Amino acid sequence: MQGLIKDLNGLLSPAQVLSQPEEMLAYANDATHYFKSRIPDAVVLPHTTDEVSKVMQYAFTKEIPVTPRGAGSGLAGGCTPVNGGIVMDLKRLNHIQEVDRNNMTARVEAGVVLKRFQDQLEPLKLFYPPDPQSASVCTIGGNVATRAGGPRGVKYGTTGNYVTGLEVVLPDGSIINPGGKFVKQSVGYDITRLMTGSEGTLGVITGVNLRLLPLPEANRTIVVVCETLEQAAEIVAEIIARGAIPGMIEFLIKLAITVMNNFFSPPLPTDGEGYLFMYFDGTESQVEYEAKVVTGICHDMKAKEVRRIDDPKAAQAYWTARANVYPLIQTIFQRATTEDITVPRNKLPDLVRTVQTIAAEEGVMIGLAGHAGDGNMHPSVLFSQVTPEILAKAEVAIDRLTRAGLELGGTISGEHGIGIHKAKYLAWELGDIQIELMKRIKQAFDPKNIMNPGKIWMEGGGDHA
Amino acid sequence: MLRLEEYENIIEKCSHCSYCQSTCPSFLAEQSEAFVAKNRLLLIRETVMHDRMPYSSRAQEILDYCLLCTNCTQTCSSKLPIDDIIIAARSKARQKGGGIKQFVMSKMLTQRGLAGVLGKAGSIAQKIGVATKEIPQLAGRSFDKMYSGTYSPAGEVKKRVAYFVGCGTNFIFPDTGEAVVKVLNHNGMEVIIPPGQVCCGIPSLGEGDLESARAMVETNIKLFAGLKVDAIVTDCTSCGMMFKEKAARCFADDDPLQEQIVAVTSKMWEVTDYLQNEGLTIQPGKLDIKWSYHVPCHRGWSPTVKDAPRKLLGQIPEAELRELEHPELCCGGAGTYFMSHREQAEKIREQRLEEINNTKANAVLTQCPVCRFYIGFKVKDREVTHPITILARAYGL
Ligand SMILES: Cc1cc2nc3c(=O)[nH]c(=O)nc-3n(C[C@H](O)[C@H](O)[C@H](O)COP(=O)(O)OP(=O)(O)OC[C@H]3O[C@@H](n4cnc5c(N)ncnc54)[C@H](O)[C@@H]3O)c2cc1C
Ligand code: SF4
Ligand code: SF4
Repeated sequence: MQGLIKDLNGLLSPAQVLSQPEEMLAYANDATHYFKSRIPDAVVLPHTTDEVSKVMQYAFTKEIPVTPRGAGSGLAGGCTPVNGGIVMDLKRLNHIQEVDRNNMTARVEAGVVLKRFQDQLEPLKLFYPPDPQSASVCTIGGNVATRAGGPRGVKYGTTGNYVTGLEVVLPDGSIINPGGKFVKQSVGYDITRLMTGSEGTLGVITGVNLRLLPLPEANRTIVVVCETLEQAAEIVAEIIARGAIPGMIEFLIKLAITVMNNFFSPPLPTDGEGYLFMYFDGTESQVEYEAKVVTGICHDMKAKEVRRIDDPKAAQAYWTARANVYPLIQTIFQRATTEDITVPRNKLPDLVRTVQTIAAEEGVMIGLAGHAGDGNMHPSVLFSQVTPEILAKAEVAIDRLTRAGLELGGTISGEHGIGIHKAKYLAWELGDIQIELMKRIKQAFDPKNIMNPGKIWMEGGGDHA
Repeated sequence: MLRLEEYENIIEKCSHCSYCQSTCPSFLAEQSEAFVAKNRLLLIRETVMHDRMPYSSRAQEILDYCLLCTNCTQTCSSKLPIDDIIIAARSKARQKGGGIKQFVMSKMLTQRGLAGVLGKAGSIAQKIGVATKEIPQLAGRSFDKMYSGTYSPAGEVKKRVAYFVGCGTNFIFPDTGEAVVKVLNHNGMEVIIPPGQVCCGIPSLGEGDLESARAMVETNIKLFAGLKVDAIVTDCTSCGMMFKEKAARCFADDDPLQEQIVAVTSKMWEVTDYLQNEGLTIQPGKLDIKWSYHVPCHRGWSPTVKDAPRKLLGQIPEAELRELEHPELCCGGAGTYFMSHREQAEKIREQRLEEINNTKANAVLTQCPVCRFYIGFKVKDREVTHPITILARAYGL
């Protein structure tokens, strides 16, 4: 890429263009670092939509690939530059432009960190529910691009349910504003929704309009210890079937509890196999009622222990620990991957049994955690050692898991997106006709295929390891 | 031992979750992932650890931009000792021949500790090619010239407490030291200030100069280990961290000094933390003061140190705490960082100053002398001091 850096320096200030190998190292992976590193040729750090547009115009003319990047916390390899080129780091677009209390809406730039936004809303008694566990770092642009969700999905849905409008820079540098501040719209194709979950392949999201809710006044946390994983899954299915809607239901295994236990006191007993962390929010009387009903269900279904944590500060420790589970697990294994299968909630017990069967048959260790309330589980292959043999076994196991999820009427990804790592499964879920349609949409947006190429579907059977 | 080889497997435990991005001040100021803890670990692995990339001047710069503030270590979901790894890497890089900056700095540090550097800040700044107008004024008389030996309370001796006096208090802010002695005495505690104390060693450690740091630790540990006291206090959170967390790591596990290190560090407290834990025996009088609290970064070594001033001064009638929006934000001072990296430090300080201005308080309190100086240099409309001096004032001492 002769002259690339010089050209970029002409478009932006030199401090906004990185190209030295020591800097590129930081942009070669996302949180799936155990996969191949992909080194960009340059990283740009724009401050404004206009700067984004300038870089896109340039890249379009020169046909240089551009990969948008938020915090780089993705779990699908989405922000890594498969074909090199420019990585566009959007973290400096970080203004919260408006919080409109009367309309219950907000407008943010794409690089705003989710937690910072949520912290600003709290004193205003406003609530933006989407809660990927990486909230302290992930960007709202990244959340929109991956349709991120989290434990609150069960009651409040995911990012997609809150986006009402966007500002997008298209691959040729033109700027569009689909949707808006209004909460409904019936005008032509819904480009806002199409961009939501587009994983950086259709354009660069620079601004986001969001819908807000009033902050629930009260909450309760309940932790349930179960004899078996199936019992935990059956309790979740029963709670949903009875019409109770907790704010969150998280499913965890004993292994997770052992790494979480120093976050809270007293520690949880480790003689159970399955654990549920549940949260109820709403009015005081509502949370009290729901907590009682659900406690009743758990006792009826013979849970080993039902622990109620009424003090919100003490409860927070359990949820902080929850947010750290995945990285903590990685400290005790040489590698831990994570899947994102989502099934209809009454199929959870089946999924749990299938995971155990596959693990036993393939001879790999598979951990289970997930946002069980919305049927979204993250089976995780745990490697004590990484050898070609174990990698091969793991691949078979993950293939089988993915198939099993689909056979149960589920999907291959509930919230992480496809990126590179799940591309090979895309056809299993969507079939050729839908994929062909998607490719034609991509072609319409990005005729030169410069926008995050090599993602979502496999290109020429590429090397995706 | 803080040897880089010890961290080969540990470094692999980084899950790349990016959580350290939420608190790393050098990342927050630059908003570039090159400057986050995670990338520093990668760089260390590729350069000084495995020689897969040259230890270039850019690599050194990226490692040197680190303030060793420990925020990443406190945030890291995988509990990696990131600051120790960076210290070990700096030390390894030193062995391979560090720059003139490092040489000048550590020479000064060995001779006279932090105060030596601060006192000579002007000429050092010249030598290492940075210009800083922000240089602390050294006190006319250092604390050790005024206080040394044993100070007994008026009545019965309830506790015997040894006092480790850091460089900041000794040379720049002796008023903190005076307040420590008076407040402890007032609460029935005898204070012992052994002569012959030297710098705690943390500035040398930060430069990767393990040898000098070890020598200082050894001197101090031997001085305090034999004392028959109930506790050892420091007013400085960084000195506290050096004793409590780093001293033992400077030596091999089977080093004979380890026993004495344990004897000393098991009694080590930050002074407000100690007082809060013991409970005040005399209630302070009222004081009309609105204060905000800048929590020093080096707080991870005691779970209670960051709440101690809040609880302690909370007992002063009419004193009112006005919390900063982010009380735990780094101020950019970081030992000698504000001199060696003036531009970066000023950038980091900006948000701290903004939040201070946003509180309608008339004092900013913090237990770190460098924070006190570095914030105080810019904050002129209100007092910037150590919480213990406010307690002394409330007692009328
Ligand atoms: C410990 C941990 C826990 C996690 N927990 C959850 C969870 O509970 N739920 C969940 O959904 N995810 C979770 N994730 C995954 C990740 O945090 C989310 O996918 C998040 O939405 C990614 O945001 P980001 O800013 O890091 O985006 P990146 O990783 O930088 O990018 C993700 C994708 O979005 C694209 N993109 C980013 N910004 C833009 C933009 N402005 N315009 C266009 N495209 C863009 C990129 O090209 C890429 O394809 C977790 C990750 C970690 C490390
Ligand atoms: S010690 Fe501080 S500056 Fe250095 S990497 Fe960690 S958080 Fe960043
Ligand atoms: S928080 Fe720790 S594990 Fe996560 S990226 Fe940073 S250094 Fe690595």
